[in-house]
Amino acid sequence: MSLAKIFSVSSRVRASGASSLVVRHAQYSTPAQEGKTEKVYPPTAPGFKYVNAEDPNMTMKALTDRAAQTLFWTELARGFAVTLAHIFKEPATINYPFEKGPLSPRFRGEHALRRYPSGEERCIACKLCEAICPAQAITIEAEERKDGSRRTTRYDIDMTKCIYCGFCQEACPVDAIVEGPNFEFSTETHEELLYNKEKLLSNGDKWESEIASNIRADHLYR
Amino acid sequence: MSFLALDKWARLFRIIKQNGGIFKTTYKLWRFDTLKEGTFVGSDMFGNKYYENNFYFFGRNRWVEYHPRFAWEYDATHVTADWYGWLHNKTDNRPCEDCAKYYMNCNEYVNNWLMPFSENLTGTEKAYYPWSTVNHHICVWDGCAMCNRQPKK
Repeated sequence: MSLAKIFSVSSRVRASGASSLVVRHAQYSTPAQEGKTEKVYPPTAPGFKYVNAEDPNMTMKALTDRAAQTLFWTELARGFAVTLAHIFKEPATINYPFEKGPLSPRFRGEHALRRYPSGEERCIACKLCEAICPAQAITIEAEERKDGSRRTTRYDIDMTKCIYCGFCQEACPVDAIVEGPNFEFSTETHEELLYNKEKLLSNGDKWESEIASNIRADHLYR
Repeated sequence: MSFLALDKWARLFRIIKQNGGIFKTTYKLWRFDTLKEGTFVGSDMFGNKYYENNFYFFGRNRWVEYHPRFAWEYDATHVTADWYGWLHNKTDNRPCEDCAKYYMNCNEYVNNWLMPFSENLTGTEKAYYPWSTVNHHICVWDGCAMCNRQPKK
C-alpha cells in the first residue's frame, strides 16, 4: 500500500462512499456518443456551484498539507479559536424571563371573559362560541338571572382541549370571550386547566388593560 | 479606539458604573445572567424596572429587571398586564401613553372590578382549582328499583 493511499483515506472528514457516488454520476457522459462535445465533470459553467463531494486533490503538496493538519491537530486549535471568539460575541438568543420575544396584538393565548366598563359581564349566553368551537372545549349553561337578563351559569373551557384557533372570539357578538395575550399560564396539574366561569372572568379582570389595548390596536380591521 | 477593542472595555466599565459598582454588578450578573446598559423607561406595580437600549438587537432591546425582593424567585408572569405589550414589542407606548389604557382608567367604575395583577399561582396554595358554578340539577340513580323506592316525606 502506497503512502498516498494511506493519506487519502485518513485525510479529511468525508461522506463514506462519496467518491463512488461521484463516479456513478460521472458516467452519464459516455465516450460512446461520438460527435458530441465531451461534458466536463464537475461542471464548471458560470453561475453553477457544485455542492456534492469531490475527489480530494492528490498532488504531493496537497497530500502533505492534509497529513500535517491531521498530525499537528490544527483543526483542534482552529476549533478552539472559533469557540473563544463566540464567547465574546453577542448571543443570538434572548434571555427569556427578562427579555421576551415580539408578539402580535392578535396573539391568541389564554381565554378571558370581559366585562362592560360598568362591571356587568358581557356574555349573554348565545352559545355561538360553544357551537363553533372545533374542539368542543366550551360548555355553557344559561339561566335567567333574578333581574330577568339572560346570563350563563356555567361557562367552562377545557384549556387542554382548546386548539387556540380563535373562532370563539370571532363568533362572539359582544366581545365577551377573547383570547388574551397571556401564554404563561402553564400549570402543574391537568385539573387547573379546566377553567370555569369565575376563572375566566378573573382573567378578564386581570388582563383588561392589555386586552383593551389589543382590541384598540386592531380596531381598523374589526 | 475600536482598533484595539478599547470601546468594548469602555462599555464594560460604563455598564459596571451604571449598575452601581463591582458588587452590585456581580449580584445582577448572578441573578440576571447578563449585563446590559440601558435607559430606564418605567416601573410597574411590583416594582420591576423596565429598560430599553436599541443597541441590542430586536427582541433583546427591551428587558425587565425584577424587583430585588423576588431574588431568585422571579417569574415571567411578574410582568404586569400594563407593561406586557411594551415588553413584547407590541407597542412603543408606555402604559401611561396608551390611549386604550388611558380611556379605560378614565372610567370611574372600572376600578370597582379591575383586579390587581397576580403571577401564575400554580403549585401554590392559592392555585386555581375548578369547581362547578351551577347547582346539580340532574338526579343520579340511587341504585334502587322503582318499586322499592320509598316515597319522599
